Order: sequence, then structure tokens, then C-alpha cells
Amino acid sequence: MAAADVRDMLDLPAEGQQRPHKKQKVVEKRPEGITRELFALLGERAPPIAINENRYKGRPKRLDRRPVRSWRMIPFTNGARSDGLILRHWKVQPEKSGEESQTNAEHEALKPVEEEYPFVKYNVKARVPNRYTTEEYDRHLQSKDWSREETDYLMGLVEDYDLRWVLIADRYDFEPKPIETTEDPSTALVPHKEPRTMEQLKARYYFVAATMLALEHPPSEMSEAEFDLHEKMMKFDAKREANRKELAGLQLDRTADEVREESILLEELKRITANEQEFVTDRRELYSRLDVPISVGNATNYHNSQGLSHLLQTLLQADKSKKRRSLLGPEGIISTPGGQTPITNAPGSARESSRADTPNAGPVQPPTTKKAAAAAAAAANKEAAQQAIRTLTPAEEARYGVQHHDRLAPGVQFRSDRAQKLTQAKSHVQTQKLASALAELEIPLRLVMPTERVVKDFEKLIHSVNLLLDARKVSEKVENEIRVLESAKEERARKAREAREKAKPEVKSEQQDDDDAPIPSAPDANNNKGDTSKADDIGGGQARPSTSSGPANGPEGDTTSGTDHKGVSHKRSASVLSNASDKSSKRQRK
Amino acid sequence: MNPSVPPSAADYGGDEVSAIVLDPGFSTTRAGFAGEDTPKSLIPTYYGKYSFEGQGKLIYGDDIFVTPRPGLSIHNPIGRDGIVDDWDMAEKVWEYSFTSKLTGAKPGNPLLNGLNDIPEGELPAEMEGVESDEKPLADSPLLMSESSWNPTKAREKTIEIAMEKWGTPAFYLARNGVLAAFAAGKASALVVDIGASNISVTPVHDGMILKRGVQHSPLGGDYVSSQIRALFKSNIPQPITITPHYLISSKTAVEAGQPPRAKYKTFPPERAPDASYRTLLEERTLSEFKECVVQVWPGPTKLSATGPNGVPNEEMARSSPGRPFEFPDGYNQVFGVDRYRVVESLFDAKSAIPDPDSALPAPTQAQTVPELIKAALNGVDVDIRAHLLANVVVTGASSLLYGFTDRLNHELMQLYPGPRVRISAPGNTSERRFSSWIGGSILASLGTFHQMWISKKEFDEHGPSIVEKRCK
Repeated sequence: MAAADVRDMLDLPAEGQQRPHKKQKVVEKRPEGITRELFALLGERAPPIAINENRYKGRPKRLDRRPVRSWRMIPFTNGARSDGLILRHWKVQPEKSGEESQTNAEHEALKPVEEEYPFVKYNVKARVPNRYTTEEYDRHLQSKDWSREETDYLMGLVEDYDLRWVLIADRYDFEPKPIETTEDPSTALVPHKEPRTMEQLKARYYFVAATMLALEHPPSEMSEAEFDLHEKMMKFDAKREANRKELAGLQLDRTADEVREESILLEELKRITANEQEFVTDRRELYSRLDVPISVGNATNYHNSQGLSHLLQTLLQADKSKKRRSLLGPEGIISTPGGQTPITNAPGSARESSRADTPNAGPVQPPTTKKAAAAAAAAANKEAAQQAIRTLTPAEEARYGVQHHDRLAPGVQFRSDRAQKLTQAKSHVQTQKLASALAELEIPLRLVMPTERVVKDFEKLIHSVNLLLDARKVSEKVENEIRVLESAKEERARKAREAREKAKPEVKSEQQDDDDAPIPSAPDANNNKGDTSKADDIGGGQARPSTSSGPANGPEGDTTSGTDHKGVSHKRSASVLSNASDKSSKRQRK
Repeated sequence: MNPSVPPSAADYGGDEVSAIVLDPGFSTTRAGFAGEDTPKSLIPTYYGKYSFEGQGKLIYGDDIFVTPRPGLSIHNPIGRDGIVDDWDMAEKVWEYSFTSKLTGAKPGNPLLNGLNDIPEGELPAEMEGVESDEKPLADSPLLMSESSWNPTKAREKTIEIAMEKWGTPAFYLARNGVLAAFAAGKASALVVDIGASNISVTPVHDGMILKRGVQHSPLGGDYVSSQIRALFKSNIPQPITITPHYLISSKTAVEAGQPPRAKYKTFPPERAPDASYRTLLEERTLSEFKECVVQVWPGPTKLSATGPNGVPNEEMARSSPGRPFEFPDGYNQVFGVDRYRVVESLFDAKSAIPDPDSALPAPTQAQTVPELIKAALNGVDVDIRAHLLANVVVTGASSLLYGFTDRLNHELMQLYPGPRVRISAPGNTSERRFSSWIGGSILASLGTFHQMWISKKEFDEHGPSIVEKRCK
């Protein structure tokens, strides 16, 4: 260190001019013992072993040319202390100019600088509950196991050691006061002191702390954090904790053999779980292979009988090699994919049935397809299989969703589609009417759960709704006719009156002639509708909506059963009616 | 990095207040300024007493080794259990440790330390300032270390000395186990300290010792020395006597195992130093022997047991090449299996070499290192045992015995096969020897520590009992 630097640091006046900075020449000197030629061969790269020269390390260059800053020993106080202890440390003096700073600094050095000591903020204490008063203690915190003095001692320790229980339990050393007797003090009894365990200390402290917390804020007013704390403290179970520690101690004190055994078992467990993972992936792969329809792309191969029999053969081979007998019957009626899809998706038996069914699809397919060519080849096989197959009871059939079809349409179809189709009538108007009828019944247009039974009932419902709609149409027609006829009749009556005024006999003959035509039609209509509809008819246009909506609003079963038998007669009568009305209208035109 | 720019306090949390750290041990006393990495002052705790022209004289520090003054006797103010016996002399030795090299006779600000004094003519204005300056530590807070089993009385006496005799403005007394843990960078650790007079195991949790777990036994470096002496007595070609250098005037080389040929110095009885002086110097030779020859059997089983391949470990040890050692008088010998035997009793009390003359009683199994560790762990809460085992800090100069940590590792693995055992022992010799001083140096230079000092004012208010309350 140069003298100038020392002077700078101590703020002594500089002595004369600063000396010019000497430039150090950096010349790689050839170490001794190495010839010049050999040294030249080393080239740019440094040799792996550093060659040390016997010279001192140069001083690091100072980049800025400013004078060094002055450091001062400055007294300070620590805000975390209560006694105002003054210690001194070195601080960089903020730069000031000239002489006056020096005198100022001298003054400043004598009194502590009034600034916050930066380490005060780390002085944090654990939050401990408020101390209880005597009254509070007597009311809430009495315990036959703990004296007031000991509780005080415990709370003091907890505060001193910031809730570090390991330390509290370690330092806990309560000396109970000797029991005072009236006799002379030498015989005073010192109560038997048994060491408290950490669990006992914790239990007592948590009880006191929770009680104090609850006194401060009743549980209903606590903030969430406070409530959690309160709950946790109230739930502390010293016995359980002690048991846990006992177990932990056992675990720690295992012998080498036990440890070895445990590690072996763990290893085994790891192996098993790894294998299981492998097994699961294998199985999933297998499933995906089984679920995927075999070669969907080139189905054209199987369009002729030869192709089909070939397919059958390969499937049989595959089946044999798998050596798995299917659960379900050889009737195999179930196994067309069309009938199957919804059932396999049903939650209960999904996996089993799909697994059981899929291999069975082979022998079962031929009867469902129109070709029975391969039946002969399969027959022997089938018979053998039949013995192994048990027949299902009706209950089981219902459970597995097995159905028997007389005739099956080729290909896949969905039941929901079928239900959907029912709601589509031929004309748009009709479809809308159907939809509004369903809406009135609060039945969704698209069924939520198109199970077998639901679809069947839906079919019935749609059917009866259709019947009702037909009936309404017919009744409207009939009413119209009636109105026309009545107006015609009035007309005639008026004419007749006019004619009677002119010539009576003429009118009579005409009336007879006209009456012949409508008479057969009136009883016809009455027959159709029965008594109720007769009344409606008389009521005219206003009653009409009630005919259609009346039965529809009633319970479902009622409509279906009621309209069912009525519907049959309706149809017939409707055509009769329309014939009749046709005739009458023609006659009218005449 | 520009050395003239101070690191920001937030980076390392340091704030140096030129505190002095004093780490008194049985064998050596370490002192230095906080914030440095090694103690500047390292002196033997032994002191010499002799009389010159009818006056009693005392010598301290390395001077005690140098001159065999007539009647020079060597004493140690600290008892074998690590507790101070002779407070007057302990105070003097400790004072010597920092006044000789750290503070000087007249400590203070370099601006005012006498070198820049105004020349004569002007008398110092403040007379009461002079009075305080006469005390050696008036400017420096003092951090002292103590053993974990130091009794309250001794602690109170220590703070009295520091406050009243040395006049330190602030004082703190820290356990050396805690400081060693800090030096290893751990707040919780199991500190195994192999010192000269004692070995101790101290569980430290969150920077505080767990008193119920503290264990110590006298099987330290001096015990190993006594074992070596016992070995020398029963040495096979001939018993070895240690002749310290000061008694040798010249020597000639001899073959291994041959009797020494040396010319000895003789002192007339009235000029001769005390026997304790010779013992002290013999101890230096033994230290050298421990450093060069003695080796701990690496394990995994005891030296007396059979190894993993069916060969007794003793046979294995015998077959390994021996180590030669030359004594000050020129006698030299190759030490084979014996070099393992002298320390085996630190782990296996039964294999101790019996020596009826030794001042130290034969060890019991409970005093061995693994048993101490076991007892220490049993004394603490079960929840932190595993953590402590994963943070075993080995310190103390005697732990530098070759292969000590390996053996300790094996022993602990056998003792606790379940939890993870991890020993952290600094490889650097000075870090191992001075780790409690280094921990003190770290602690006393932390900005957050300055709120913990016991100030002079607090001492005046509460008296010496404050040390129990504050230095927990």
C-alpha cells in the first residue's frame, strides 16, 4: 500500500503531487531451464502446469482515479436493545468537500448517528397468548394436575424459547415450593417431582392458549386463522402424540436385520407395483385390440360367400387359440353389434359383457347374415360349445340386456335413432303438431335415456298421439260438414217457406228428396264418436280443442289404453265419414 | 470485485464491531477479532511459574516451551473436566491471549492510539477516560466460549472478570458446541468434540444446546497420550523412554530398534526445571507421534473382531505396512498394529492398554464415543434424533487422528442402521481445530447478534446472574 493511499484513507492532506502511474510491462519471460527453441514450441497455449515466476503479484489497477473514500469508526445504537448500548463499526463516510467536512466528522464521531439500525427488523418474537389474570385463571384454567405457579413457569418458558418445544421440554425444570407446614421447616415436605413430558407441557399450554384466545374473541367472532389455531389447539391429543413418539422411537432403533428386511420388502413392493403397471398397460392394449372392429377398411372382401367363410375360419382359429369359452349362449342372438351397443355401454356389466361377447361374435355372425354356407363347418364346433354354455334365466336376460329377435336388419342401428324417426311425420305441419303435443306432455323430443323399455313406451305414446291427431282432424271435418249441412238446411227451410207462400205441394216434394241424403250420414258420425263426441259436436267449434287436449292431459296410461281401442274404430269410421262427406259435398254441388 | 466497495449488509448480514472472540480450551486458548477466519492469537493454556532472585515470576504463551529455567513448573488453570480451577491464573492467561497480540497495552482508535499523539506540552484533557483505557478490553465487546456443562458459578465468575477486570463494554458467553455447529453452517447439529482433556457430545437445536443430551467423558487427546505411554512401557524390543529435545545435546543415527546413541544434557538439581516441564515437552513429542503414526482402525468392525472375510482384523492390521517414528534421542522404530491399538479404546473400552501408573482411570464402555452419542440422542426428543444424526459435526484437534471420522461413520451406521447418518467434518486442519472459535467469529460479526450482548449497563443493573438469563 502506497503512502498516498494511507493518507487518503485517513483523510490526511496529500503530500505533494501524485506520482505518475508506472505502466507495468507484461512480457512473458522464458523460465530458466527451458531452451528458447523448446519454449517457442509451446506456442500460444499455456502449458498444463503453471510455471511460476519468482516475483510478487502486481497490485490490481485502480480504475477510477478518484481519491479513496474515507471510512470512519462510527458509534451506533441498536433499536432492538433497551439499554442503549453504543457499539462502533466502520462506515463509509458520505463524500464531502474540503476541510470543513473533517471538523464536522470529528463532531459527528462523538455522538451516535440517529438512523435506524438495519438489523432491527429481524428482531421478531413468536406470538404468545396474553397472560391470564388471577380471576381468569381461577375461573377457566384450574387444573388438578397443574398448580398456578407451574403454569406461570411454563408460560414463561414458552415465551423465552419462542415456542420451540424441544428446547422447552429440555430446559423444563420446575421446582415446586415445599408444602408449608406449621411444624418446623426442616421437616417440610418437598412434593414429589416427576418429570413432565413434552406432551404434557404441550397439552397444558394449548389448553391455556386456546382458552385465552376464546376469552379474547369468542369462537364466533374469530378470524379464520384464529379459528383454525383454536381448533388445532383444542384438538391436541397428548396420548396420541406420545404413541406416535413411541413408534418413531421404535422406528429409529431398528436393528440392522430389520432394516434389511424392510428394504427388501420395499424393493419387492416396488417390483410388484412396476409389474402391475406393466400388466395394466398390457391389458389396456389387449382391450383396445379386442374392441376395435377387425379391418373395417376392406369389408368388400367379405361381400361374397367365399370371403365370409374365410373370415369365419380365421375367427375360429383365433378363438381356439385363445381357448376361451364365452359365457353367453351359443344362440348368439345377442351378438349383433346393433343390438349390443347400448348394453355394453351400460355401467354395470360393461366390461364383462363386451369381453365375453366379442370373441363369440365369430361363430354367431353367420346365422345373422343371410348366408348359412359356413354353418356346416361351424356346426360341430358349436355343438361342443353348446354343452359348455348355460342358458340364461329371464331375470339374467333382462340384466344382461339379452333380447331375442326374429328378424334383424343388417348393419348397426341405434335405438335413439329409431325413437328420433318416430317423431318425424311425413309433413312438416304434422311434425310440428307432434312436437307440440310432446311438449305439452313434457317429454323431450330426443329421449334422454333410450333404453329398450323407454323406447317401447315412447313408440306407443307417439302412436297414440298420432291417433289423437287423426281423430281431431276427422272431428274437425265432420263439424265442418255439419255446419255446412245446417246452413244448407236453413237455406232450404227459408226457400221452402218462400215456396210455401207461393205453392205448397212443390216444396214438400223437394224437402223429402233432400232429407234422404243426410240421414244416413248423421247416425254414422254419432256411432263414431260415441256419446261424448256427440255432445262435443253439438257444442261446435269452441269445444273442439278440449277433445284433443282432454285425453292428452290425462295420465299416460289412460290415453294409451283408451285411445288404443278407440283408434281402431276411428280409422275405419274416418274413411267412412270422409266417403260420406265426399258424397254429400258432391250432392251439394249438384 | 473491488475491495474498496463494502458488500451490502443485506448480502451477508455482517456488521463488525471489532469484537474479540476468546475460546479458552484445556490445551490451548484461542483469541482473535470477530470476522476473521482464524484466531490471530493461539497460546497454550499452560503457564509457567518460577522464581528469580526470590521473586515469583510467571510466563505465558509459547515462552513456556523455550527455556528450561531453574525450578520452572508448568500449571494449567483449567481442571481436567474443562472447568476453571484457578480463577486468578485463568484470568491472567486469558488476558495474555488477547493483550499479547490483539489489543496491545493501550487499545483504542488508531487515530488516538498514541502514535499520532500531540507531542508533549499538552496533557490529556479527560482524566476519567484514561482510567477506562487502562482496562485491556475497554473498546471491544467480548464473546467467550464455554463448555456445555459449565456450572452457573463459573459462568458468573467469567462475566465478572470480563466486566470488572477487563472492562469490556459488552459481553456474551456462548457454548462451544453451538459455535462449532455455527462454524459448520448448521443451527441444529450433533457436535462431537474430541478435545485434549475431554470428548463431548452436544446436541444443538436451533442454536441452543439441549442440556439433557450433553455428554462428556475424559477420553480426549491426553488419554490417547497416556495410552501411548503405556504402549511405550511395554514395547517389545525395549521399553521406550521419551527424552525431550531440551535434554539432548547431540545424537547420532541408529538402526531401527537399536538403543539410542545420544549425548544428554544434565542439569544440576538446583538448576533443573520441574518435572511438569518435562511432562509438557514430552507431551509435544507425543503430539507429533499422534500426528504421524497413530491411526484409527477404519472399521467397519472393531479391531478385536473378525473382519468381513473371516480374517481377524488384528491380522489385517499387522499385514499392513508399519509407520516409522524417530524420537528426539534418535531412537526409531516401525510401529505396526500397535498404532491402531492406542486409540481403539475410544470406540471399544475393552481394548484399552492397561497401565496401572496412569493418572487417568481405565475407560468404561459408557465413555466411548459411540456410547456417548447414543446417550446424547436418548436424552433428546425423538423427533429430532434423525435430523441430528444427519448433521453430526466432528470437531476438536484430536478428531484429526487418521481415520477417525471413517470409523465413527461405521460405528454410527451400525448403531443406527435406519436413519441416514451424515458426518460433516471440515477437511481443513485449522477449521477442525478452531471450529468453535470460528463459529464465535461468525456469530460476533453478525448484525443481528448485537442485540444479544450483555452490556455493561445491564450487568451493573442485574449483577452477574444476568448471564444465566441471557446466555441460555
